[in-house]
Amino acid sequence: MSSNPQATGRAAAETPRLVVVGAGPAGMATAITLAERGLSVTVVDQNPHPGGQIYRFPAVTPKTPQTPERGAMLRQHLAEHSERITVLPEHNLVDIHPGPRLSLCGPDGFRIVEADHLVLAPGAYEYVPPFPGWTLPGVITPGAAQQLVKSQGVAPGRRVLLAGTGPFLLVVALALHEVGVQVAGIIDTLRRRDAFWQLPSLLADGKLLKQGFDYVAGVSKAGIPLMTGHIVTRAEGHGRLEQVVVAPCDGDWVPDHNRSRPVVVDTLCVGYGFVPRVDLAQLAGCELAPTNLPGGWIPVTDPWGQTSVPGVWTAGDGAGVAGAIVAELAGQLVGLGVASSCGAIESSEAERSAEPIRERLHQLGRFRRGLDELGWPRPGLSQLADESTVVCRCEEIRRDEIDAAISAGSTTLRSLKVATRLGMGPCQGRMCQPACSRRLIDLGCNTLEEIGPPAFRPPLVPLTLGQLAGNDEESEDLELVENTPHAGPAP
Amino acid sequence: MTPKAIDVVIAGGGVVGHATAWELARRDVEVLIVDRHLPGRATSASAGGLWPVGEAVGLGCGVIYQAARTGSDSGDAVPATLPVVFRDFLVESNRRFPALAEELKDLTGVDIELDSGPGLLFLMQTARQQSVVDNIVRGLPDGFVLEVLSPEEVAELEPAVSTDIVGGALLPGEDQLNPMMLTEAYKRAALASGARLQHDRLVDEILREDDRVVGVRLGEETISCGHVVNAAGAWAGQLAATAGISLPVEPVRGQVVLTQALPPVLASCLSTSSCYLAQKRHGEILIGSTTEHVGFDTGVTEDGIRQLCRGAVRAIPSLADVGVKRTWAGLRPGTPDEMPVLGPVAGVQGYANVTGGFRTGIVAAPLMARVTAQTIVGETPDVVIEPYLAERFAG
Repeated sequence: MSSNPQATGRAAAETPRLVVVGAGPAGMATAITLAERGLSVTVVDQNPHPGGQIYRFPAVTPKTPQTPERGAMLRQHLAEHSERITVLPEHNLVDIHPGPRLSLCGPDGFRIVEADHLVLAPGAYEYVPPFPGWTLPGVITPGAAQQLVKSQGVAPGRRVLLAGTGPFLLVVALALHEVGVQVAGIIDTLRRRDAFWQLPSLLADGKLLKQGFDYVAGVSKAGIPLMTGHIVTRAEGHGRLEQVVVAPCDGDWVPDHNRSRPVVVDTLCVGYGFVPRVDLAQLAGCELAPTNLPGGWIPVTDPWGQTSVPGVWTAGDGAGVAGAIVAELAGQLVGLGVASSCGAIESSEAERSAEPIRERLHQLGRFRRGLDELGWPRPGLSQLADESTVVCRCEEIRRDEIDAAISAGSTTLRSLKVATRLGMGPCQGRMCQPACSRRLIDLGCNTLEEIGPPAFRPPLVPLTLGQLAGNDEESEDLELVENTPHAGPAP
Repeated sequence: MTPKAIDVVIAGGGVVGHATAWELARRDVEVLIVDRHLPGRATSASAGGLWPVGEAVGLGCGVIYQAARTGSDSGDAVPATLPVVFRDFLVESNRRFPALAEELKDLTGVDIELDSGPGLLFLMQTARQQSVVDNIVRGLPDGFVLEVLSPEEVAELEPAVSTDIVGGALLPGEDQLNPMMLTEAYKRAALASGARLQHDRLVDEILREDDRVVGVRLGEETISCGHVVNAAGAWAGQLAATAGISLPVEPVRGQVVLTQALPPVLASCLSTSSCYLAQKRHGEILIGSTTEHVGFDTGVTEDGIRQLCRGAVRAIPSLADVGVKRTWAGLRPGTPDEMPVLGPVAGVQGYANVTGGFRTGIVAAPLMARVTAQTIVGETPDVVIEPYLAERFAG
């Protein structure tokens, strides 16, 4: 592969260079679909093994809970197509240049990968809005707890409380219980009657609904108290978490502080759903659209998952959080779209193969909308922080500093950033900006469209100046010679 | 329609737009700032270096520009110098910062993070650069100080700097501030003085009837006004063209690198022929900046970032292990003679430029804004405006 982009000169008949970023359910399904259609593809993933967060490769420790069967099956399919699917494990995406042309950083240093079609399947991260005490050691996310248990066989604490909203809390509670962690309870903002009103949508997928009931039954059998209609209002402790304050809440998730009570635990796992990772799409130049779900922004796509940038596609939770099953189907759909674009299959065949996938997605979509209706963050959530609560953890910006900047006229994320340094830390605002967008909307300052998405900058992962300077420090020419290894397309 | 609710519409809310808004608003002019934060705003990619003499003699970021422009090996780059009149303009503008910082702090509570250290230190990395510096010293008039330092003296001043240098050239009193806080302070001062801000809107067109400007168009909306001030930075040329005004302002891309926050590493602002380095108030070191004519492309490139990182590591070897937090790029409003474009345009009433800050936009902002505002309200400008009128480009 030449370092000079030759994409324009390439004949369509030549082997297309296909790259998938992310090896969760969506990325794996895309790669498998492409391989099944005779195409070769490179899968870039930050983890040592494919699986993503949901199907994370289990630690060898026998005591840890087993990875869901579906994940093992996808991994096996991936391995079966090993002559067509090249996985680059432990590779982080640093930047996406026009082309698209990807800067990757892996165990052997930098490499540049050029793609004719790039599929972004980065997944999502947990939504935790600020509340008093949330920066105390011992306060983590359910996903972090799951990861500790799954890939390292480490218990996050002795006595754990799970709080937030959604079925993921139940999944993690069971996983913790199975490895012998004492689960003090699950605090869910949803009230049972809220769920009742969503039954018609939830009934759209009986299998998933049953799975949900199974989780509830499992939790009950394990003797884990499940408290609905409650919210964690603060975490307290000296130097680390000692207790959590819980209060009943109304339909807007506004707590009744008069009826609050403490729960003594050493670990709190808190999460209110998931935020799609749109940083990759943004760096690739894809147009983003607002939604009322956490994070607020998702890439605009056509029915096949192609973004506004031709040749850049997206699937899975990064394209809008909908869970592993939808992600896998969406990955298949993108795979068909890419295969059809490359001329590997006729468009009529793509349509034919897509039909049952779309039907299933439609059905799941109704279920998902039911869940979304239940889980989207209510106003009470952004009122939990008090004046002295640190909102931006990286730069330690307090709520009152942010409110002062807002009343001085900083009503967009960008102007808040300038005024307060909010989001200027290493996380680039991933943690604080979704909550700050919500606060700006709640205060009636602006609509989401006016606030705009957070602006992500390369490098997307921490790198040193030395790494970016390259190995060849002897050369001082302005016309620098390309000295990074190049990953060709999969042979 | 309410006639002339607005006296002046300012198109563009970078540092210069907000500064001009304040200078006008405090003179009881009804001001509306129209601003959309487009990616690539130069204010957001500036180091905030206040290096009037450094830039004028070519030892600031101009030396990097020169190296890029001549395509010469960085070690052989010969800095270009700016006209004396503009050097004096920069010096005068810079002189105002301490008092300005106080005034803005009192008015708005915003600290512009004006930090003074030993000054701007140019690292001489080749014998040729030494002779260039010697020439500059000989050419400096009385009252200007440029201290030539031995490698030992550089090491004493800046222990982190590489010992593989020929020496240093120190310009005392050439300091730095935080350009974004300066902009924020100007904005709040302008609002406090009665200016209004039309946020997230863009002036799409300057409306003109015969020889006078009558208003602006923002999408579907028109606003009539007595004056339009073009503070649109790198986009100023495009905006001027909507009113049939020729303005040779072009985007000149500068890529920058920001490190993680560090304990104090640098007391001075450093410049070399491949980059400059300034440690900011919160501990990050800002490393700039490429100089590229690539239109409105605001992306960063592998080569650009690599060049800056190499330059930085060559100047301060211990930076090799330091984390990079961000890289991004800004579009400087470049003019053919590297000087700003200020004031009215012959034959067009109700129009003024305040742009073209190129690589000295932060240090020049206070005076650019003041002189432009003074011209609009009919005061005698603090310094002569003639060298900065757009008509100098005619013919």
